Amino acid sequence: MVDTLLRVRSHMVKNLGRFFVVGVYAFLYMPIIILIIFSFNKAPFPSRWTGFTWQWYHELARTTHLWEAVMNSMFIAVCATVLSLIFSVFFIFFLAQSRRFERVATFFYVNTVVPEIVFAVGLLGLFSFLGVPLGRVTLVVAHTILGMGYAIPNLFARLSELDNRLTEASYDLGASAIETFRFVTFPLLRSSVIATGLFVFMISFDDFVLAYFCSGSTTQTLPLYLLSLMRAEVSPTVNALSAVLLMFSGSLVMVFYSYNSRAKLF
Amino acid sequence: MVRLMRCVTNRFRGENELPFFFGTPAILWQIIFFIVPLLAILFFSVSVFNSQGSLIGFSFASFKYFFSMPYVWVILRSLWLAFFNVSVCFLVAYPVAYYLVFRAGSFKPLLFFLLVLPFWTNFLLHIFAWFFVLEKEGFLNLFLQSVGLISKPLHLLNSSFAVYLMMVYYYLPFMILPLYAALDRFDGDLIEASYDLGATWWQTIWKILIPSTAGGIVTGFFMVFVPSFGEFVIPELLGGDKIMYVGNVVSYLVLGENTGALGGAFTVLSCLVLGLSAFVCYLGIVRLIKMLK
Repeated sequence: MVDTLLRVRSHMVKNLGRFFVVGVYAFLYMPIIILIIFSFNKAPFPSRWTGFTWQWYHELARTTHLWEAVMNSMFIAVCATVLSLIFSVFFIFFLAQSRRFERVATFFYVNTVVPEIVFAVGLLGLFSFLGVPLGRVTLVVAHTILGMGYAIPNLFARLSELDNRLTEASYDLGASAIETFRFVTFPLLRSSVIATGLFVFMISFDDFVLAYFCSGSTTQTLPLYLLSLMRAEVSPTVNALSAVLLMFSGSLVMVFYSYNSRAKLF
Repeated sequence: MVRLMRCVTNRFRGENELPFFFGTPAILWQIIFFIVPLLAILFFSVSVFNSQGSLIGFSFASFKYFFSMPYVWVILRSLWLAFFNVSVCFLVAYPVAYYLVFRAGSFKPLLFFLLVLPFWTNFLLHIFAWFFVLEKEGFLNLFLQSVGLISKPLHLLNSSFAVYLMMVYYYLPFMILPLYAALDRFDGDLIEASYDLGATWWQTIWKILIPSTAGGIVTGFFMVFVPSFGEFVIPELLGGDKIMYVGNVVSYLVLGENTGALGGAFTVLSCLVLGLSAFVCYLGIVRLIKMLK
């Protein structure tokens, strides 16, 4: 009897960790799962389950405001990603020339440390002081800063992991600095560049704080549209939109890890 | 100075000319659109404008405005929220990260994927999910009523409870991931060695595990503490505009009419408080970990 009790107790202790982790994951994913399930609910309000329907997804597809917001977000995210990747790769080329320059890279580490709201306030102040009209361009500018804050530290970490002998060999064989970067260093970094680009795209696509301050009254991005929907009413179309967005991010994460299996976010 | 000049001119003439120019777009962009705006906040917080909007002088008057009880409370409330959030996240995240690294086995990739996914999903989506769950006629109330635990729906939204819950929910992955990365680098054999040498599990945790993952703890602290302090979306949407935190006051003042200078001053002030408290906490954590060793 005592023996069985002891065995049960040790079993419990062993599984305590598992219960805890399952609980935490349930906490993290329960709301989202409920959200998605109720996007197929016939009743328009978060009441009881009344039946399965695709109705809200059809309604979502017909909303023109949504597509405007999506196009805006896409435009901003693509521009910010391309700009910050070009700047970052050029900058990495500069860093790759000499170890003396490495300290310059720390200049970009603060971008992600400063609270976004502070940066947004400063940028808004600057733009309104200079009389720059707020809109898509100002958001691209702001998101490029965020993007560089992720891209440069990440690519720099990759660069310092590379084998120096490869570039040395290239120099010894008579290649110039640009040729070495073009044909040796960059191909080695390519998959990290793509993965970083995906991450920067998502950062920009999901950004709320900067968009809230620096987008002006005419430009609506997807997160701002989501906010206006949430403030207006609780409608299952928002659930449907959430489900679609979640699928989108999920597939991006998978692509990200296929390019960058050892990706380090930290 | 002469040497510096020569260095620069050599660079322009010499072979190094090109790489130097390739570095400049990023640096210029960073200075114009990041450093200058941050300095602009400082500038606007002390400048005084006349009614036509032109600069007439400098004063610290807008800072004095905030040395009154309501604003002090706002800052203290945000500090408490950030502290609370960091502590709860750490206590929950550490066991989870430990389990993921050492015990998860074949579930590890899946669990890791589920942990990374929130980073890539829209912030508002998470908030909406909780909206849906916590609402008066939302899922949780309906569930509890149908089970029979409560007879009347609880008012869960628009309360401090909802704000704290959402904060922990949203920032938990930000704490788990750095701890995961730190534990992943940690050599698991050391735990066994510690047990073999007769240490209890309590001693192993405090003397081996925590000190070896200090880097991850510090990263996690900053990743949660700093944004928690300035958070304004969660209190605004789930706190029901009643309870003001630093982020709400900043957005209210900055986006309001003619209160831009006050907003700048308040931003500067709260940044000072944030920087100071984060630094003190950082020193505290480092000291504590050193003491453990």
